[in-house]
Amino acid sequence: MIIETREFTRVEGNGKAEIVIEGNEVKDVRVKIVEGPRFFELLTLGRDFWDVPDLEARICAICYLSHSVASVLAIERALGVEVPEETRLLRELGLIGELIESHSLHLYLLVAPDLFGYPDAIRLATKHGELVKEGIALKAFGNRIRDLIGGREIHGINVKPGGFGRWPGREELEAIEWEAKALLTVAKRAVRLFSGIGEYGGRAELFVATDGYLTGDSLISNVERNFQYFERIEERPLVYSFAKQSLYSGKPFLVGSLARLLLKAESLTPTAKRLFEENRERLEAGWVSYNNLAQVIELVYALERAGEIAKTLLDKGFEPENVPVEAGDGEGIGYVEAPRGVLVHHYRIADGKIEYSNIITPTAFNHAMMEGALLWEARNLYGNAPEDELLRRLEETVRAFDPCISCSVHFVRG
Amino acid sequence: MKLGVFELTDCGGCALNFLFLYERLFDVLEFYEIEEFHMATRLEGRHFDVGLVTGTVSSHRDLEVLREARNRSDYLIALGTCATHGCLQASVELPLKEKLKAVYGDEGNPMRALDPKPVVEYVTVDLAIPGCPYDKNELFQALIDIAKGIEPVRPDYPVCLECKLNEYECVLVKKGLPCLGPITLGGCNAVCPRSGLGCIGCRGPLPGEVNPAGEFEVLKGLGYDEEYIMRKFKTFARWEP
Repeated sequence: MIIETREFTRVEGNGKAEIVIEGNEVKDVRVKIVEGPRFFELLTLGRDFWDVPDLEARICAICYLSHSVASVLAIERALGVEVPEETRLLRELGLIGELIESHSLHLYLLVAPDLFGYPDAIRLATKHGELVKEGIALKAFGNRIRDLIGGREIHGINVKPGGFGRWPGREELEAIEWEAKALLTVAKRAVRLFSGIGEYGGRAELFVATDGYLTGDSLISNVERNFQYFERIEERPLVYSFAKQSLYSGKPFLVGSLARLLLKAESLTPTAKRLFEENRERLEAGWVSYNNLAQVIELVYALERAGEIAKTLLDKGFEPENVPVEAGDGEGIGYVEAPRGVLVHHYRIADGKIEYSNIITPTAFNHAMMEGALLWEARNLYGNAPEDELLRRLEETVRAFDPCISCSVHFVRG
Repeated sequence: MKLGVFELTDCGGCALNFLFLYERLFDVLEFYEIEEFHMATRLEGRHFDVGLVTGTVSSHRDLEVLREARNRSDYLIALGTCATHGCLQASVELPLKEKLKAVYGDEGNPMRALDPKPVVEYVTVDLAIPGCPYDKNELFQALIDIAKGIEPVRPDYPVCLECKLNEYECVLVKKGLPCLGPITLGGCNAVCPRSGLGCIGCRGPLPGEVNPAGEFEVLKGLGYDEEYIMRKFKTFARWEP
């Protein structure tokens, strides 16, 4: 017998799950990504490198800037371009803005209704209007940063190889420093709310992240340091899904907020570090549901870090100068921590044109783990709880991964 | 009035952009009740005064959702360039079989994919709002107009007009950057020239009296090769409504 869930709601993109039951036992769970294929790497082949980040940004609206930055980093590495500190800091600020926008969308508008038993944030707002408004204020702030650095709230084209189209000015950075400080109180309040979340979705054992907090030169995990994605991670296509599945040394693994906190807590800002220490034991237990708690701690980190970056740039001062980029040959990988986890863009460029392109998104990295988490929940609840409760819990488990299904459906064979 | 939001295959941005109305979302909710919107709610409605469809039709599942949306909506809006012109994911001009083989490694099609095409290729829509993403103010105004029984106004001018009104420096003339502003439908407030960069044409071609041949010659004169220019023209709008 197969129980099929309806399409997941309050997640980005279209997907569902199938629970395979044999002889009254849960045998398997398959996560079916039914979002159509999108062929993004094919689209970039033969294109001029300069245009590619703007196209790749369109893989995802929630994390477009992560895609632009990963794409730009891969291109700069391939063409041997070094950018100065202020360019790197401004890109980090953009990624921080994206983290704020994405985490607050997920926590306040997608997860919070579950905590209070409402179908959505709009109905939740009738009773808890302040909470929803706080979430919206955080989201709007994240988007203001994306607009400033990325050139638009969604799919901006301002992040370019070598620098930016338009550089932010002093007043704009001052506003960010000030607003980040004001919103920190709101995020700290949210930690209390989301730390009430229960344990579900099984326990992850393997975690992968980039070696820097939001960008990096290589990957790290809880079993080894500094490896390239193709040395350890294998992708395989599935007959029942438009998204491929990745395994790390043959095993499912977790990327995203929880993985980042567990692998890189030493890089956190003071308040975020304190909150991490307070919750360390629970986070280290590895329950998938604690990805929500990890996200809310990261929200505090992001607000503190946004203020820090703005202040550093303001104190130091900077000249808006782009590094010239010449068309040439080369190969490069851009590693970025998108809000949902590790994102890889890998290109080979010949005479300024893309001739090989490979992209792996966080949701694809998490796909196998997601099936494992659902299997764990299904085995736990099947026969012990009514079917609608089982299905609701499965949906909550999927939501804890904060999947981005649109991102996951456009892989090209390496 | 009852509102439904239906997402086919896309990046999620058009649905998300609706949530980015922030406080004004509550103004929309003065007129509308959201009955179905899977990114935001777990409710499922039956009949809609206004339906919004985003994304391309890229699978049989998408086609079924689209037909349901059309049948159940009195006023259907194709929202965003995927829905109106196909956008990027429809721009790869290979047969579907070859695309699937390149990506998934075999020639089968177990998930019943279709070659990505815009919504307007399959059903008649009452309004098309392009943009990757669309301008959220345009959607806001359209929804308020419809609620009041007024037919929404459609922009009919190029991106250049808004660029001039903002007094941005012309990146095509001054910097020699490839800018599709002269032949692209305005309504985005010239967001890319604002960053000092060329318009990439994400709102699709300006209908009516346009001169793509003239733009082609200008870009050729600036040193861009023909293949590059043709690809740029067709990136967002391989399909035209």
